[in-house]
Amino acid sequence: MITVSNLSKSYNNVQVLNLESLDIPKGQSFGLVGNNGAGKTTFFSLLLDLIQPSSGFIKNKEVLVNESEDWKPFTSSFIDESFLIGYLTAEEYFYFIGELRGQNPSDVDKLLSQFSDFFHDEILGKKKYLRDLSKGNQKKAGIVAALIGNPEVIILDEPFANLDPTTQIRLKQILKDLAQKQGVTVLVSSHDLMHVTDVCERIVVLEKGEMVKDLATSEATLKELEEHFTG
Amino acid sequence: MIKKFLSLEWKQFFRASYFQKGIAIKILLILGAIYFGGIAILLGGGMFFIFKKTMPEIDPIITVNNFLVYWILFELMIRFFMQQLPVMNIKPLMIIPIKRSTVIHYLLGKTTISFFNFISLFLFLPFSIVLIAKGYPIANVVFWFLSLMCITLILNFLNFLINKSNTVFYILVPLFLALIGLEYYDIYKISEPIGVVFNALYNNPIFILIPLAGLIGIYYTNFKFIRKGFYLDDAVSKKVKEVNATDLSWMNRFGSIAPFLKNDVKMISRNARPKQVLMMSFFFLFYGLFFFTQSVYIEEMPYLLAFAAMFITGGFLLSFGQLVPSWDSEYYKLLMSQNIPYRQYLESKWYLMVVAVTVSFILSTPYIYFGWDIYLMIAAGALFNIGLNTFITLFGGALNRVPIELNTKAKAFSNTNGFNPTQLLIALPKMLLPILIFLIPYLFISFNAGLIALALTGALGIVFKNFFLNKIERIYQKGKYKTIAAFSEKK
Repeated sequence: MITVSNLSKSYNNVQVLNLESLDIPKGQSFGLVGNNGAGKTTFFSLLLDLIQPSSGFIKNKEVLVNESEDWKPFTSSFIDESFLIGYLTAEEYFYFIGELRGQNPSDVDKLLSQFSDFFHDEILGKKKYLRDLSKGNQKKAGIVAALIGNPEVIILDEPFANLDPTTQIRLKQILKDLAQKQGVTVLVSSHDLMHVTDVCERIVVLEKGEMVKDLATSEATLKELEEHFTG
Repeated sequence: MIKKFLSLEWKQFFRASYFQKGIAIKILLILGAIYFGGIAILLGGGMFFIFKKTMPEIDPIITVNNFLVYWILFELMIRFFMQQLPVMNIKPLMIIPIKRSTVIHYLLGKTTISFFNFISLFLFLPFSIVLIAKGYPIANVVFWFLSLMCITLILNFLNFLINKSNTVFYILVPLFLALIGLEYYDIYKISEPIGVVFNALYNNPIFILIPLAGLIGIYYTNFKFIRKGFYLDDAVSKKVKEVNATDLSWMNRFGSIAPFLKNDVKMISRNARPKQVLMMSFFFLFYGLFFFTQSVYIEEMPYLLAFAAMFITGGFLLSFGQLVPSWDSEYYKLLMSQNIPYRQYLESKWYLMVVAVTVSFILSTPYIYFGWDIYLMIAAGALFNIGLNTFITLFGGALNRVPIELNTKAKAFSNTNGFNPTQLLIALPKMLLPILIFLIPYLFISFNAGLIALALTGALGIVFKNFFLNKIERIYQKGKYKTIAAFSEKK
């Protein structure tokens, strides 16, 4: 689904990302871990064409990401709060994203109804603007919005951070289902090794922009990761 | 303690990103401040002689006293519009062992060195000096001047109390206009009774106690007000208002750009900054009054009328349009990664401006009072706005990469959000072009030919809409990464 080739990104001659090649097949749940500054967000930003690669390219379903906009209809993402429109209520925001992705309000409602336990009655029907919600609730809204419109690729940067335990557990289930049952390619980054190993079939460790480990998740993975980061 | 605050303040000022941005902006700001300060000083110094000459039978001090009421109302309006209580970074100070009252005194004290207070100072200090030089009694003049300064400060503090609600503003503006109207048509002169009060203030220096007491009173009220709200959930965090969702589904008839239009309407109606701009563009409607009431312009310089006509319907276009991508700066990454072609985004903004020009044109109907020539001119100006200025504005937007904080009011001279010299350059053709297009056929053929030329240019622009939008889209596309990077910069 996603092919990375000779991808690098430097700022002022300092290389922050350098991936020789990486292939993420369709329907894989892919986890990205690494310390701060490892290049996780940089990679996701390149994937969304928010920054320009210094060399190399990314292909998303055979579409060259930095040359064509055709990847947008089947790719969705939530990176940070700047993906939210602060002056909309959660519903308005979902409908807006729905409209952009060719979904009418009832389609959106149908999708949202599956997430009532996820929202915990704190998001829908609250008559509050997104900017007035707590950080955690904002995040929930952003993540759910990324699921609207049957995307084939979903990119989530640190989806577990700031969430309460109940929601974390629920989110893990949602992400697993997406990959296994619906064949959605899910890309997740996280600082929480436990969560990633729970969710992802494959985990890549980045260090200073380089890929240092590429693991197929198994019983031993968590241990291996912990050892790696203990140094 | 105060010294530490001052050093914090200093760092905040010089390390702010807008201050570090560019020397050009700094120079422009300083020039702007000098310009306004200079005008105030010149006006203050010259006021005496102007009044002496135009109304030789009345003592200038009395004339000034008579009109002070308008100055005060005007100042209050401007302050309401532009001045905000500087909430200094209270939050980190709350848990540090500093007395709350110290922080509040400092906060209030700081507001006294606001730009707005200096306007009054620059205006009345030279005037007072001239008075003394002309042999007016020193004690009277000095105390009168001090009283005025007290009143200025009262306004300063009053503003923070009334600033919270817009109702005050909506009362103030019509009141101001009504008073001017009544005065102008000799129906009731508010300036006379109030003038008596100020004259009394001048004649009896002891009366300074009244404004002084007022000042102390209002300072204390402000103090209590802030003291009461000095908790995280009051002063520091903003009030959460309940949303009243509006049904905008009727806009769906605009087809593929409907979601954007709906979003823009919500953006404008729910955020402080765009609301301010909307209000400002409403005032543009009255711009024509400056020109059409003076026969000089109509008879000798009708090309300036083309400029006025463009301004009347172009308020929103000029003030909102020039910041086009910036309005969406807070969630630009979303727009760039969502399923949105750039073209649709730009087109929706174009329609928004067209609608605004049309609405302004409808609102400008009363200008028929000045004659059909004028009204046709406004119509031609509106066409020009729709057909050409919209595109120039969108083009200018592509070069504008300054993020805007949507829900914060713009402050005069302390906030250069969404302002840069490129904007000024882009603004020039928007204003000069209509004059040129009108002037040439007017000089060589006739007034009507000028009108037709102006309207025709606009119509041509509409015909070539797709061509222009394509070009503009390409420019936006090219600057995309730069824009994203600039917008995600922390303020």
